[in-house]
Amino acid sequence: MNLENDLKRALRRESPPAGFAGRVLEQAKSGAAGSQPAGSRRRAESSPFHWWRAAAASVMLAAVLGGYALHEVAERRRGERAREQVLRAMSIASEKVRYAQQQVREIGSH
Amino acid sequence: MRKFLLILALVAVAIPASAQQVNLDFPGLADRAEEVVDVTLDSAMLRLGAKFLSGDNEDERAVRDMIKNLQGIYVRSYEFSEAGEYDRGLIDKVKSQLGPTWKALVTVRSKTKENVNIFADMHGDKVTGLVIISAEPREFTVVNIVGPIDIERLASLEGQFGIPRISRGKNSD
Repeated sequence: MNLENDLKRALRRESPPAGFAGRVLEQAKSGAAGSQPAGSRRRAESSPFHWWRAAAASVMLAAVLGGYALHEVAERRRGERAREQVLRAMSIASEKVRYAQQQVREIGSH
Repeated sequence: MRKFLLILALVAVAIPASAQQVNLDFPGLADRAEEVVDVTLDSAMLRLGAKFLSGDNEDERAVRDMIKNLQGIYVRSYEFSEAGEYDRGLIDKVKSQLGPTWKALVTVRSKTKENVNIFADMHGDKVTGLVIISAEPREFTVVNIVGPIDIERLASLEGQFGIPRISRGKNSD
């Protein structure tokens, strides 16, 4: 009989203490904040190291711009050389044709 | 059949265009020469050079206009310290490469001065290529212009455009 009474006492309905629901909700809220997505937590943790990413991007940008500038300089040199070659070739060709014309004119005038 | 005719037509157009370039390889000649001019300008180099020709200078503008449709300019010029240092057979070597469409426009022969031969690749009335061979006792020059060229206009170009004639000496470059 004692056992039966003990069980009844243990399993009897009892109202929660005052403020229990509020405390549970508060706990749930703070638990949700703690379990935010892994990515955003990692971002938040690594924020002090953002500087190296910016530095790497700057170095890459400088390398790209530097490479472009070097290419432009080389292209300009090539162009200037080609221009010089064109003028030299045309000058020689013109000189020879003029000489031939002059000789033909001289022969024609005799 | 249509495809065959089209291919034949393309080949017929392509052959004269490619045949205009003359082989200007003269082995060992540069080593014997005191001064050498060696200009090799294919289509791409001509376009590049044209970009850098001044539009403000009248002569450069004329050159730019003249080269715009050319496929190549090749010049070999050798100056020797003494007369008779090159084989006159080189003239025939160049001439022998010219096909039936090439016509001799001018031939100047002199025992003491410059001998000049000018050949034009004629297609109808149009000059689509030019070879100039100049042989002096101490100088041998060949110019090959590939593409349509106005000879009168070429002759009217004045001066050297401030460019020294010699591009490299015997032992340089």
